[in-house]
Amino acid sequence: MRRPGLKTVRVAVAMFFGTGLTAAFVDFRGAVPAQIGHWLASVQLVPSAVALVMGESLAVLVAIFAATLLAGRIYCSTVCPLGILQDVAARLAGWFRRAPLRLPYRPARNWVRIAFFWVSVTGIAYGFAGLTLSLVDPYSIFGRMAADLFRPIVAFVNNAIVGVIRGLGGEGLYRVDLHWASAGALALPAIILLLVVGLAAWRGRLYCNTFCPVGTLLGFISKRSAWQLSLDPALCRKCGDCLRVCKAQCIDLRAGKIDQSRCVSCYNCIGACEEHGIHHRWSWRRQPSRPAGTADLVADPQRRSFLAGATMAITGSVAAVQLRAGSIGSEVGNADGSVPSASLGRNESPAISPPGSVSVDQFLDRCTGCHLCISACPTQVLQPAFLEYGFAGFLKPRLDFSTAFCNYDCRRCAEACPDTAITLLPLLEKQTTRIGVAHLDLEHCIVKTKGTDCAACSEHCPTKAVDTVPYGNNLRLPQVSRESCIGCGACEYACPAKPRKAIVVVGQRRHSHASRRLEEKAVDPRKGKDFPF
Amino acid sequence: MNSRREFLRSSLALGAALSLSPWRKVDAAEATLSIPSTIPARSVLVAVRDGSRSAMVDQALESLGGIGAFVKPGQTVCVKPNIGWDAPPERGANTHPELVGRVVRLCLEAGAKSVSVFDNTCDQWQLTYEHSGIEKAARDAGAHVVNGKDVSLYREVSIPGGVKLKSALVHSLVLDSDVLLNLPVLKHHSGTGMTAAMKNLMGAVWDRGFYHQNNLHQAIADFLTLRQPDLNLIDAYHPMVRNGPRGKSVADVVEMRTLLVSVDPVAVDAAAAKMLGLDPAKIDYIKIGDAMKLGTMDLSQVEVRRFSLT
Repeated sequence: MRRPGLKTVRVAVAMFFGTGLTAAFVDFRGAVPAQIGHWLASVQLVPSAVALVMGESLAVLVAIFAATLLAGRIYCSTVCPLGILQDVAARLAGWFRRAPLRLPYRPARNWVRIAFFWVSVTGIAYGFAGLTLSLVDPYSIFGRMAADLFRPIVAFVNNAIVGVIRGLGGEGLYRVDLHWASAGALALPAIILLLVVGLAAWRGRLYCNTFCPVGTLLGFISKRSAWQLSLDPALCRKCGDCLRVCKAQCIDLRAGKIDQSRCVSCYNCIGACEEHGIHHRWSWRRQPSRPAGTADLVADPQRRSFLAGATMAITGSVAAVQLRAGSIGSEVGNADGSVPSASLGRNESPAISPPGSVSVDQFLDRCTGCHLCISACPTQVLQPAFLEYGFAGFLKPRLDFSTAFCNYDCRRCAEACPDTAITLLPLLEKQTTRIGVAHLDLEHCIVKTKGTDCAACSEHCPTKAVDTVPYGNNLRLPQVSRESCIGCGACEYACPAKPRKAIVVVGQRRHSHASRRLEEKAVDPRKGKDFPF
Repeated sequence: MNSRREFLRSSLALGAALSLSPWRKVDAAEATLSIPSTIPARSVLVAVRDGSRSAMVDQALESLGGIGAFVKPGQTVCVKPNIGWDAPPERGANTHPELVGRVVRLCLEAGAKSVSVFDNTCDQWQLTYEHSGIEKAARDAGAHVVNGKDVSLYREVSIPGGVKLKSALVHSLVLDSDVLLNLPVLKHHSGTGMTAAMKNLMGAVWDRGFYHQNNLHQAIADFLTLRQPDLNLIDAYHPMVRNGPRGKSVADVVEMRTLLVSVDPVAVDAAAAKMLGLDPAKIDYIKIGDAMKLGTMDLSQVEVRRFSLT
């Protein structure tokens, strides 16, 4: 059966996910609703697997595996943004090539695939789940490129355009702040972008079929998929037209076979074959009629290692996360989850995780570092960490109060997060979630050092945890009430003291609850309703 | 794709705009900038209460000779409200959008060539513009809403009259517009005691940190030696009387349904201070402004016109 429409469908779905995710990641004006990015990211394999471990819905993961079992690696060619990026890169590279690229069949380098897969599994199983997943998840790898590299470039182009057409009145067009992440955090996405794009231009989906553990896992399943592409020995002239369009180098004309584990179901070959010799067929019911002794039916050592690996990966990460969750739970003092102020020292964290992430440890376990929250954050206070959290927090988002501060009424990071790493708290709860505590050092405060009014900290404080008290000759001196401080960083950002800020927020390892002081309606300071002058 | 006609039209508009906008005014602006507009012998303060915001603006302007006394046909107008915080109108953290919209409409009715609205916000600017309601109100009324967080729109100018603030990056709208209308909201302020007309002009400057580092009160007064607003209209409809300037909730505001209008920024702030139950002489920037002869804080020297619209 010939299905010329398959490629069209593949391209359409890929364009949907590719443009949708790219738009969500490069959106520098907050124009794309956070929910759109969240939805497109939630159907990615690794985020949905992380969410599953946290007790979220099983449906997405089951759907991906079921789809792979039915139709091969359609995920890799339609849903995975890194796969789509490689197809785009390969196509662009084709425009610059004189002779069309013709990739011959190459036998699979299975030992490399297995090695990368096992390294990932070992990392996940032995306590580095968050770090490992963030380094190998293709969706997160794409996200970091898009959020940290593409987004600033698009913003730069926007600003250049605004500069040219400013005279038109500027309605709807404006310059935006350009924030590049720190060099340490940018290096890896930049290197991987060059690697992935370079490999794609050179050898198509070599990355997916060599390094990507998701590709390896789905490749294992797709070996037994129901619908498969196959060569018709009666029609194939071995002309090699299909090789010109195959990005996976998986068509073995000599043996008349297609390596199903590497085929990403792009369906390019169907249309390329003038003899109509490539079929997309249901393979399952024909199996019993196959002659005994075919390779497929012999016990496959690879398959066993895979099954073992996959099982270990899932059980290991569940165990690791639950173990850690348990140990954290026992640490906290109060029944309501709040930390008594005496234990603040013990609870300090060198980097600050976003509100809704519950604790730094839980955040680092669950976050795959896709940086969708960084793209969604309207203030840009979320920045990728280099080693601020320590090694395990490499490239995980942190609040950087030198850039901005966390907007009191905003929850866009949580709305975007596909991993359950940042949970969407009710607004009132977000506004009383303490991610850090402000520490005021009056010896550096301008009111004391210069003897003039300032209070920029108190001015910006949304909870008035930083207020002022009368001081000296008609001055106002800041003071902090820790009970109502949520650690949003507005005070630290606003503090103009140099070279050292007089007020800094110290992060909390495990977030706690700040008290919200409700005040009665203010009274009119005038005597009577008439003008007091 | 656009048609060729559209392309040509937009190219022409672009060319015209480039040839007109920032450079044409530079000479004129810089020549007059250092001279503060002279305060008439006796300041006039119009205080209106107990009307809708729009009705109170109309009453105040009528008393001062109409909007036409301030905005001439063909002039460019900059309206500078307080759009500091990501808070809805009822919180009183920003100038009320109704007031902004009404003033913009009046300027355009008076024949203004263009009316622009901006502020250098404290909270994230797009959210603040949107949630304050001012972006929509100003745009609906026909104003250009301009980014206050774009440093390329600011120009370094020297402020020879300043004691502490001797030069600053100032928004080009404030430097180049023919008319500057100051539209603050009256609020308690934990750093300066209160904020109204004089302090609202801090939002015309890029680097607010400099003010805080170098005697906040003096710097606030210094800016007025660069350019005084042609008119100050203080929104005291429901002033925030505590927890300012950001406020915590609607419980922080008290309904006073008042509008204070004057050319004299010091006099209008002195009256505003009294609305909050404060002694103007205890607010340092008002005292400094009076000493620098930017206006008068002695309300007995001011002609106060009181209106009640009940």
